[in-house]
Amino acid sequence: MQPNWLLIVYYLLLWGSARVRGTYRRWRQPLLRGPEWFFNVHVQPDFYTGPGRKILNRYWIRIFVSYLIEVPLTIAIFVSGHFMYLIWLILGIAAFIHAFHVFSVDMAERQARQFAVSEAEQPVAAIALSLTSRRLRDYSNFRLETAIALSLVISFSWLAYYYFSTPEHHHFREVFAAPLFWLYVQMGFLLAKLVIVAWRAPIPQTQAEEHLAAREETRKLYIKACDRARVLLSIGILSWPILLSVPPAIMGRVNTIQLTAVLLLGMVLGIWQEIRRKRLLDVTLRARPVKFPELLGQSQALKWPLCYQPSVPMIVLKGVRGYSLNLANQLTQLGAAYLAGLFVLLALLRIGH
Amino acid sequence: MFLTINIDDARPIYQQVADGIKELIARGKLAEGTPLPPVRQLAADLGVNLNTIATAYRELQKEGLIAVKHGSGSVVASRTTTERDQDELLRPLRTALTQMVLAGLPENKILKLVMSELNAVGKGNK
Repeated sequence: MQPNWLLIVYYLLLWGSARVRGTYRRWRQPLLRGPEWFFNVHVQPDFYTGPGRKILNRYWIRIFVSYLIEVPLTIAIFVSGHFMYLIWLILGIAAFIHAFHVFSVDMAERQARQFAVSEAEQPVAAIALSLTSRRLRDYSNFRLETAIALSLVISFSWLAYYYFSTPEHHHFREVFAAPLFWLYVQMGFLLAKLVIVAWRAPIPQTQAEEHLAAREETRKLYIKACDRARVLLSIGILSWPILLSVPPAIMGRVNTIQLTAVLLLGMVLGIWQEIRRKRLLDVTLRARPVKFPELLGQSQALKWPLCYQPSVPMIVLKGVRGYSLNLANQLTQLGAAYLAGLFVLLALLRIGH
Repeated sequence: MFLTINIDDARPIYQQVADGIKELIARGKLAEGTPLPPVRQLAADLGVNLNTIATAYRELQKEGLIAVKHGSGSVVASRTTTERDQDELLRPLRTALTQMVLAGLPENKILKLVMSELNAVGKGNK
């Protein structure tokens, strides 16, 4: 099978099924806790027969916004024949879906709060913050980390040998561009893992055990997702010197084998992800949502999506018009530096083309 | 090992943070030499102003319970016996006992409660 056809199959089969599953999951999400709840808002009994029906319908419509963006772009890619852009489309749409869903749920919950049960909207009196230290190595599989490190050493050693053996025949970008980019993305997932492990937030003192269990399960799921991405990227990096070294006569066949393997691995990991997600749901549903007290209060000065408030070091601050990303937070700065580095790397990889 | 904040408590948040850390030290959950979270990190985790945590840490440092090392953060200091006025130490106990008596608790129950708390807090003194 030609690589282009494999990409199309990957896009329609794997990505398509993930999209359908994700859409179905987000569709059901408002009612997961039962008819007395709208997401994490405890609503009045007539909510869904009254004003809640409109709020729910608007949320459901917003689920399909990503399709309005994806479908025209997909058509454009198919018409142009540049099927490699499907990979960039998947990455971009995945990032958009996650970010937009957070915004959509927040909007829906805020609209529903005016119809919430008044007792449920009272903040809990006592909160607790765990001071038990968490280390990255407590959430890392030593064998997996060794395998990833070893695969990277082998890959780059092989590439270096390939490049220096006949440098007059090979272009630096041709040999190193893709692996360097994937390595940088892999570092991003490692950074995300660090943030997930270090992240702390208070829990209600009354339901401490349930909330702790839910947080721990969520943490483990996201960490596994990061490790899964790192494994897939390592496989990509390891396959690059193989693809460069094979004779042109069998290049097509090797490409087919590689893409088929990625397709199968993606399907297996997708099924695994769904099983883990179901387990997470069972645990998180036991933790009753509560409203936390505003220890800092709402800031009148925050009117923009970005702010710089060094005296209040949280990542996100609550302002008059919504939330504001705090550029004084070290993690925000690290994230911004990483994104800047990504753009610089992409620009550098195009130089000389 | 938890730090608790109660919004119904009359004490300001910095005092609750300081008292919470003192309790963890007394119970032995924060051993000598254990590093405390950096001021900025604890403020971000709790969702409070930086100065709130800085004030709490300053109070703990003033009482000799933590040692601040510039560049490497704060650690629980070694426990040394301090010369403190007995009357000053008895004052909070007197207030608590008065409240229990006024609440109508019998003497033997008050004694039981006090011994239970002493056993829990005193574990860190062994």
